[in-house]
Amino acid sequence: MSGTGPRESVFPTRMALTNTKLRLKGAQTGHSLLAKKRDALTTRFRAILRRVDEAKRKMGRVMQLASFSLAEVTYATGDISYLVQEQAKSASFKVKARQDNVSGVILPAFEVDRVPGSDFNLTGLGRGGQQVLRAKEVYAKAVETLVDLASLQTAFMILDEVIRATNRRVNAIEHVIIPRLENTIKYISSELDEMDREEFFRLKKVQGKKKRDAEAAEVIRKAKDAEEVPDVAPDHAGGGGDLLGSKDEDVIF
Amino acid sequence: MEALLFNVSGGFLEGIVRGYKAGLLTQNQYNNLTQCETIEDFRTQLSATDYGNFLANEPLPISTSTISDKATQLLVDQFNYLRSNAVEPLSKFLEYMTYAYMIDNVILIITGTLHGRNTSELLQRCHPLGIFDTMPALCVATNVEELYHTVLVETPLAPYFRDAVSAADLDDLNIEIIRNTLYKAYLEDFDAFCQSLGGPTADVMHRILAFEADRRAINITINSFGTQLSKEQRAKLFPTIGRLFPEGNNTLARADEIDQVRQACEAVSEYRAFFDSGGRSHANGNGGANGNSESTANLLGDLDSELGAAADLEDRFFVHEVHLNKLAFLQQFQHAVFYSYIKLKEQEIRSVTWIAECIAQNARDRIHDFIPTF
Repeated sequence: MSGTGPRESVFPTRMALTNTKLRLKGAQTGHSLLAKKRDALTTRFRAILRRVDEAKRKMGRVMQLASFSLAEVTYATGDISYLVQEQAKSASFKVKARQDNVSGVILPAFEVDRVPGSDFNLTGLGRGGQQVLRAKEVYAKAVETLVDLASLQTAFMILDEVIRATNRRVNAIEHVIIPRLENTIKYISSELDEMDREEFFRLKKVQGKKKRDAEAAEVIRKAKDAEEVPDVAPDHAGGGGDLLGSKDEDVIF
Repeated sequence: MEALLFNVSGGFLEGIVRGYKAGLLTQNQYNNLTQCETIEDFRTQLSATDYGNFLANEPLPISTSTISDKATQLLVDQFNYLRSNAVEPLSKFLEYMTYAYMIDNVILIITGTLHGRNTSELLQRCHPLGIFDTMPALCVATNVEELYHTVLVETPLAPYFRDAVSAADLDDLNIEIIRNTLYKAYLEDFDAFCQSLGGPTADVMHRILAFEADRRAINITINSFGTQLSKEQRAKLFPTIGRLFPEGNNTLARADEIDQVRQACEAVSEYRAFFDSGGRSHANGNGGANGNSESTANLLGDLDSELGAAADLEDRFFVHEVHLNKLAFLQQFQHAVFYSYIKLKEQEIRSVTWIAECIAQNARDRIHDFIPTF
């Protein structure tokens, strides 16, 4: 029956039916588009997931290496942290953000921008300068890995959210909006059918009544005819008599 | 003559220092240390040595810097004991030894003052061997000019400072240059003092100090490649007491790459070996690399090969330094043993810290890269 399931509260008119049908079509197109988007995002998401995994493993190794190179520096020169802290004036390692577009989702991507030259390249001049340089390079690599990981991780979070939203939308369209529109269409068409049938029945009724009336009128007319027909013919004054059938005195030929 | 009268003033302390020397870790003990799985084991192993239970009161996650600090503290205590019992000329000799650390400390304070740091917190970072009575006075200075005059008046380093730097030089870029200028002046002065003592002290100390001077010259040369340090400035930083002086120093001053450094060192047979075997052992190290260091090489690209050789050179310097310091113990009735003992002990602390670091960071393949003393 058309009454089952939720439907929109519209008047069951033909216009509403056309509108609803249009909306159903729109909803179906939207559903397929969103589903495509979801699939694209999920593919990307999986790829990013894999890269996050790789980057994390790499980070583990690189960080270990970096802290070990710091140990080498300590071995060769002793504690240089204070000197380095004091002599660092400008950042030689900068991170720039840029935007990436994946099926309409804006993902921030971070890029490393290394400024050549450094403030403390004379540190360890007398002893262990090579280790200091090495530690610097290794740590720069480590930070690079971290930056990579950061953009991946951000993309991961944003994509996750977007995929969820898209999924919600796809499911909402699939399971709520489309059934509702279908129900509405069913309802409207059934109502319209119902109205058609009523109309038909009404017309039939009217016709029947008219027929009956017409028959009754006929009977009466026939009865009247039987009485009145002879009187009617000679009635000149009534006009419209047969001109050929009668002779007019005024016509001379 | 020294042999006759040395024991009058120095015999007791020489005995003490030779006793200390017997307490240095042996190869066997190093082997035991490298077998440790955790820092906890490491501490237990160390407590069986002369270090005793120096880490006993530390809260459990012991950091490697704590180990290094505590061990240095032991060394400082020993040194202070020696120093307080010493008479001339040994006391003067020991004082000279502290100058090297003083230079570092003064440089540290200067750096801090240039950046307007609270200088009293700098005092905690100073090397304990280089602390002198008037050091807190340096913290009173609020600007560089004032500090410069305070250094001139208050510290034993005044002569080096007066000759080497003026107040205008004390800015950021120069700080490393100043440090090395001071160190050069110090080395030359120390050597002159040892020569004035004469006898075996002069012999042994000259050998050690000459090596130290050459090492600095070579290091400065290698480390200044690709920096703003001009060749004239570089040449001024080379101590003039080394075995490379003067023609080796001249070659070094003009050197642009490591090959020219090698050429400069050709004249001295011991130094030649550093460069020869330096390259080879590095190649071997790469050849026999396991999976971990292979991935390391991938990660770092060719960074390793450039810097590896130079870093390896540093290790060879350490080995040779230890060798020279060990030789010092072969001679009796001289002061060089004190110097050598402190240097060996420092090396031992470095090695112990290295092993601890390797254990803490789980880098077992590098754990044998320390330099054993005895």
